[in-house]
Amino acid sequence: MKFHWFHLMPYPELPEDFKDAYRSVWVDVPSSLFDPKVGHRAYNDYLDELEYAEAVGFDGICVNEHHQNAYGLMPSPNLIAAALARRTSKAKLVVMGNSVALYDPPIRIAEEMAMLDCMSGGRLVAGFPVGTPMDTVFAYGKSPATLRDKYYEGVKLIMRAWSEPEPFAFNGKYTQLRYVNVWPRPIQKPSPPVWIPGGGSVETWDWCVDNDFLYANLSYFGYLQGQKVNDGYWATVEKAGKEKNPYRCGFLQFIGVAENDAEAERLYAGPALYFYQRCLHTYPGFANPAGYTSIPTMRAGIESMVARSSNRNAVENLTWKDLIERGYVVAGSPESVTQQLENLADKMHVGHLMVLCQYGDMSKETTMYNTTRFAKEVMPKLRNKFSEYEDKWWPTQTLDDMAVPAPLTTLV
Amino acid sequence: MLNQQTIRLKSGRSWRVYDSGGNAPALLWLHGLSGVSTTDPMLAALEKKHRVIAPVAPGFSDLAEIDEIGNIHELALDYDDLLEHLKLDDIAIVGHSFGAMIGAEIAAHFPRRAKQLVLLGPVGMWNDAYPVTDIFAEPFIQVEALLWHDKDAREALAARRSNEGPQSDAERIIAVAQGLTAITKFTWPIPEKGLRKRLPRIAAKTMLLFGEKDSFISPRYAEDFARGLPHAQSLVIKGAGHMLPYEKTDEVVGLIEKFLA
Repeated sequence: MKFHWFHLMPYPELPEDFKDAYRSVWVDVPSSLFDPKVGHRAYNDYLDELEYAEAVGFDGICVNEHHQNAYGLMPSPNLIAAALARRTSKAKLVVMGNSVALYDPPIRIAEEMAMLDCMSGGRLVAGFPVGTPMDTVFAYGKSPATLRDKYYEGVKLIMRAWSEPEPFAFNGKYTQLRYVNVWPRPIQKPSPPVWIPGGGSVETWDWCVDNDFLYANLSYFGYLQGQKVNDGYWATVEKAGKEKNPYRCGFLQFIGVAENDAEAERLYAGPALYFYQRCLHTYPGFANPAGYTSIPTMRAGIESMVARSSNRNAVENLTWKDLIERGYVVAGSPESVTQQLENLADKMHVGHLMVLCQYGDMSKETTMYNTTRFAKEVMPKLRNKFSEYEDKWWPTQTLDDMAVPAPLTTLV
Repeated sequence: MLNQQTIRLKSGRSWRVYDSGGNAPALLWLHGLSGVSTTDPMLAALEKKHRVIAPVAPGFSDLAEIDEIGNIHELALDYDDLLEHLKLDDIAIVGHSFGAMIGAEIAAHFPRRAKQLVLLGPVGMWNDAYPVTDIFAEPFIQVEALLWHDKDAREALAARRSNEGPQSDAERIIAVAQGLTAITKFTWPIPEKGLRKRLPRIAAKTMLLFGEKDSFISPRYAEDFARGLPHAQSLVIKGAGHMLPYEKTDEVVGLIEKFLA
């Protein structure tokens, strides 16, 4: 099993009464709530935390893309990954990822990711999300009627731009280019591993299986609820006659490791509730516009979707006890966390676990504590799980003789 | 009596069209967000004096229909193909909401198609001073409630439609989502796609009706249309919301008939 340390980079100083005083953390959240000095501190702390995750042995460090929100401060995950490329050397850079349909032309993504792969010595994992409706449809003004179609075309163009040796012309529906000839080229051939974050769209399962992309089930509602999505994905894998290899699947989980349950609650209840009550406080109209979810996906899960659009209050009124019982947060002693994750990995058949050790307004000190205990007391016990499978969704062409940044003192 | 037929054009594209037939003057009805049906009270009233032809907008029957219709110009061409097939020239075009936007675009792109044009709560313009409400940023299962001012009229129409056959809640919600999705292709993220520039091309005699209580499109948009169509008549229907043809059917039909006579 592999473990990846995922940072959402939340804005850490939303007011106490945020969910009552404001209608949404996303799209129309007042920018007056953003203090750039808090931003300076947050970015630097968060980079420290990601770099620390490499030091304690995480396989990957993950960043992602969101717009016009206080939930996650990375409109450009590539900027953060570029900073990480210079200060890390072992951990893979899992960019989860670039919302392809937002960029015209999408080869901008092929270029930036190739830069990251070169800078990092072949450590890039290329994530291609459709993007949340808040990011794509509202913040970036893309029509929900064409978003997915444009996304598929864009990913195809990027993959081709990375692998074709000669310049080519691309006459697409959304992008027309007379000359596609991306410089620089990624180290990894034919391309860095491709991961697709998803939330349960039936066509995303087919898309991942058909192209042998990794499917990453990004849910904030724990493994108990995430099970349904994974079951659908694995059914699609089996139907296509492909190997049920756990490494073709990723899952995201909130983690809180402590001495015991009481300490876990003391350390992590506040940050977790900050996340569920403030960071997820999205206006329901922004979360599920007509057209974003395809008709087949609606047919597959209409009840849950109707329920989802009206259950915001239910999520925001959860207590720490609820979060634990429902599996939204896996917390407790190292033994307890290990056992819960083993159970999760078995049931969901997940080889790539993305863990959130920082969430909400968790301090750097608490984040380091959580991260250290997870790395030292949980990770080693689960390392050998699934060792009978080959991980074909992981960078394997990382350079042996990687360039090392010169010490600053020598730059006279 | 409206008959439903499927028309196949030379391009291969299929259109679902309701047609009352007969020899009365032709009237093209372009529906709004909630589509069209055989029990539509507006059509029942209009077919007394007209041959009513009501095509189902692309995407409303099947979203695949809008795959190859890339923008508002191609949408206007699509309708022109249909009118050519039906040999309809110099006719009355009456549209509601998104249908009114299509009606205005047909009349602007192909002025000879429309002799008279009636726009009921038309989409298609944008003014920073009174922006169109972003109905797409409301949970779409609640959108219908936002469009109606008269809740009794809304329930009456729903009851009338339920006579057409049972429909599960899920299927009804899917139908709303599908219609809205089709519309977003041509109105996202701001519904003005050049109509303001094209209004002076419209040769048809034009009447605009707005609902006084329309919380989606302000009646003040009459001013924006008037700038491009200085001879158009414009009226506000008291006590009506965006669903004015269904909230004040008799009054709206009366005004349309008077205008077309």
